[in-house]
Amino acid sequence: MPRLLSGAHRLRNSPLLLKLPPYLSFLCIIVGVVWLFLLPLDEYSRRTYISENALLPGQVHTYFGGSDQNVFRAFKHEINALADTDANSTVVNDKVAEILEDIGLKTARQRYRYAGQGVQGENIYSVLAAPRGDATEAIVLVASWRNGKGEINRKGVTLLLTLARYFRRWSLWSKDIIFLVTPDSAAGPQAWVDAYHDSHTAGVESLPVKSGALQGALVIDYVKEDRFKSIHIAYDGVNGALPNLDLVNSVVSIAGGQMGMGVGLQEMWTHRDTYRDRLETMLRGMLKQGLGTASGAHSAFIPYHVDAVTLSPYGDGWQDEMAMGRVIEGTFRSLNNLLEKLHQSFFFYLLMSTERFVSIGTYLPSAMLVAVNFTFTSIALWIKSGMPEAEVGKGLEGKRMDKARLGQVERDLFLPLGVVVVVQALGVVPLGLFNATPQQLLAPVFAIFTILNLILPYVLSELLRTYKPTTQQYQLILSFSLLLLGMFLSTLATLNFSLSMMVGLLASPLSFVRPGSRFWAIPLALVSPPVVLGVATAVLKHGSFAAISDVLREAAFGWNVMGMYTPVIVWCVWWPAWVVGSLVVLGRPSTGKAKTA
Amino acid sequence: MHDGTLLRLVIIPPLLASQLVFVHFVHGDQAMDAHRVTLGRTAGLFIGAAVLRLALFTIFPGLPDLLTGRVEVSTPVTSFKRLQEGLFLYNHNVSPYDGGVYHQSPLFLPLFSLLPSSTTLPIFTYLLYIAVDLLSANALIKIAESGEAGSSRLFTSPRREKRWSGYILAAVFLFNPFTIATCLGRSTSVFTTAAILHAIAKAVQGAPISAMIALSFASYLAMYPLLLLPPLLILCYDRQTANKATKSALAFTAKHFLVVAGVLGALFQMSYLVTGSWEFLSSTYGIQLTLSDLTPNIGLWWYFFVEMFDSFRSFFLAVFWLHLSCYVGGLSIRIRRQPLVVITLLLGIFTIFKPYPSIADVSLFFGLVPLYRHVFPLMRYTFLIAGLIMYASCLGPAFYHLWVYAGSGNANFFYAVTLVWNLGLSLMVCDLTFAVLRDEWEVDRPEMVGKDIRQI
Repeated sequence: MPRLLSGAHRLRNSPLLLKLPPYLSFLCIIVGVVWLFLLPLDEYSRRTYISENALLPGQVHTYFGGSDQNVFRAFKHEINALADTDANSTVVNDKVAEILEDIGLKTARQRYRYAGQGVQGENIYSVLAAPRGDATEAIVLVASWRNGKGEINRKGVTLLLTLARYFRRWSLWSKDIIFLVTPDSAAGPQAWVDAYHDSHTAGVESLPVKSGALQGALVIDYVKEDRFKSIHIAYDGVNGALPNLDLVNSVVSIAGGQMGMGVGLQEMWTHRDTYRDRLETMLRGMLKQGLGTASGAHSAFIPYHVDAVTLSPYGDGWQDEMAMGRVIEGTFRSLNNLLEKLHQSFFFYLLMSTERFVSIGTYLPSAMLVAVNFTFTSIALWIKSGMPEAEVGKGLEGKRMDKARLGQVERDLFLPLGVVVVVQALGVVPLGLFNATPQQLLAPVFAIFTILNLILPYVLSELLRTYKPTTQQYQLILSFSLLLLGMFLSTLATLNFSLSMMVGLLASPLSFVRPGSRFWAIPLALVSPPVVLGVATAVLKHGSFAAISDVLREAAFGWNVMGMYTPVIVWCVWWPAWVVGSLVVLGRPSTGKAKTA
Repeated sequence: MHDGTLLRLVIIPPLLASQLVFVHFVHGDQAMDAHRVTLGRTAGLFIGAAVLRLALFTIFPGLPDLLTGRVEVSTPVTSFKRLQEGLFLYNHNVSPYDGGVYHQSPLFLPLFSLLPSSTTLPIFTYLLYIAVDLLSANALIKIAESGEAGSSRLFTSPRREKRWSGYILAAVFLFNPFTIATCLGRSTSVFTTAAILHAIAKAVQGAPISAMIALSFASYLAMYPLLLLPPLLILCYDRQTANKATKSALAFTAKHFLVVAGVLGALFQMSYLVTGSWEFLSSTYGIQLTLSDLTPNIGLWWYFFVEMFDSFRSFFLAVFWLHLSCYVGGLSIRIRRQPLVVITLLLGIFTIFKPYPSIADVSLFFGLVPLYRHVFPLMRYTFLIAGLIMYASCLGPAFYHLWVYAGSGNANFFYAVTLVWNLGLSLMVCDLTFAVLRDEWEVDRPEMVGKDIRQI
């Protein structure tokens, strides 16, 4: 080790090595991105397979059908009556309770209120005690009254009630089954799952009835009135957490294999399994994962290590609600077989079609490479800051450095550390601002913030000038800031790969800026977080700039209710790095000589 | 714990901590000019540190309990939660060691029984921990002001002019995020830290008996500080006041050895009286010697012993303990001229290799390292070390989360990070050793000053 280290120590005096870092950083980013685009190829992705043998998906005969169709029609009639009169949550729950109690299940209710977000409602659920179980494990079937788009989930709630009646007649369940109807698909499930695990906030009531540990959850989002062709599986959780791949595979195998339906992912309504389609599915998945928002009622379950997916029918075909019911029955029978929680190592994956995926070992290097490029630059700047000033100027133009003159310079760390820490701490300001502002003010506040944000580096750099920072100090400021950025992003890559990749790519210009190179100021302003946020909203939502208030509202809701940490990453990781980068670019180093040791 | 809240709490402390680091550097900057520490400034620093801790305790009421539960802060032998358990048993006239949860010294029990319960009136517990932190900082100031780090009896560093005052050292210690986290987590290792620092402070002040008493307390609380006895004896011997100095090294050693034995004996006797049996010996020191509680921590032992076949267990326990203690003799002999360096290096080594290390041990080591400000320019891997330690402190909680809460990772994730963390620490110990030895070497061989060397 000492020999190795002192070898490395000598190597750092080589002038060639000092010219390398920008190219190395650039190479890292390029390789990282190319890597990503290679993933959909057959050579890099793998076919999916069921790793938990106990699941046995599609191996049982499903009996849902026949007279259950009449029951379904009857319940549908009741639900339609409620939906047409636009009944409020209490009236709906009274009706649902009446039906469930007629079936012979006890019901329980839970009221919740998130005051800051102006959201409230009442969940209703009942527990079907397992005839062959001991109430230590449970599976959840969820239907929300209104889905994420605000449409009334008529067939979904009806199907839930019909299945409740049907499941009750069977004696083969070894796990409790919980039927849950929530008013909406975000706050309701969140309140219920939080309360189930006794970690609810003040406005949320505790659950009067509970069962055992949740083993899995299935959400029905069924608004399509006529017959359908395929079902869509939504699987992204909050903060980019994913359910175990085995659950997705089971549903694919039951719906696609046993029932002969099509299965779609990531709102790709047609998927021909070409490179392009695979890539698009993967990128859509990454975008959703990176934003970290909930994609349905199932998202609330995933942080509690409960594997969950949302199933929603789409397309015109000949499948009816009985077929949908059989898919759910089949999946529940599979989950019922489980002897332990799904634990095989597929919690980190990118799906590119229903049959192909890449696992973490294959895709993680691309995000790590992007994160590591900042660390390389940071190390390079640190080494460069330790060299006598005259050398830095000339030495980098390729002049051979005289080894004897290459004395180390004592680094002045206080000012750089102070600047980085202050800017890092400033990140709390936008974070608090956007999470506490009332909804109607979000858009104007954002507009003002965007403008102030563009001026901020100029102001800060003027302020900094009063301390007369030298080139060395500017280099150190940038070095520390990039070190932190690289560190946070590589940590993040293990928690939320896509978010780390996105922030890493958007912040990548920071690796190439150098103190005083003012022409970088404009390009940097273009990739400032608020500008990127505004442009991305306009592009993704196909809408005007006003859509930004929706995005910000969703982010505030995610942060306050669902524990989504994307805003923290944007404002406390990316934004400070951007501010420091712009500050350094605008800086004018004073010509004071650095002290030599 | 709501998962989101948990994450938020995990994210926020480093941010706050980073603010604090800034505060101390701003202070540090000013202090560079004035070498003399005025009493008022120190009082201001102490008040600042106390207010900050109190503020954290009161503004984030969930934070102390969150930190208490973190494996990085609380180990089986220092955890505040376990102390509560022991206290409950003790107050109900059951042996605190029944149930196998409590592994700390018996004398903590009467002390904490005197305080109002930490669940109803936590403020008194907070004040006690804050006071202990301030006492430690005070001892650090005394150590720094003695100038022992730069010039001992047998060696005077040519670089000694470039040093930090006790004020800066205290600030670095008090505003170190690790120290703050330990204090908030109410780990009982703060008492050990205070005892060790007082032992060193008394030794440099020329009060060897007090030093020995303080060391006995530290050893009584945590056992491993007993290994500091040889270098501390040397330090005491070197720093004796001229008028009542014992010339004979043997007599000096024997006398002070007896003091340690006497104090330890008295403490054991008191413990026996408090608990009514000698059971505490096996439940406190026995646990450390046999590592029977395999709760994960930031050290290197737990994973190794989880994986090990039972038949090899006793052999490797002996090897690990032998390894831990073998540094004492070697370092004391090699760096005989600077005993304070030996103590600092040993504390760093203990942080890496002891059975139940936590960030409390790191905060003690990081508190003493700035004493060697004068050899910092000789250290070669400062950036690498800082990077490794920062990366590890970031990745550690993330991987622990993936393993324990998210369930999507496993124990190897966390253990890999503890390896990186300990690599960072051991590089730091090595680099400091290198710098100190080079400093000595340049005095012996003036012609080599400034020359590059290939290997240490």
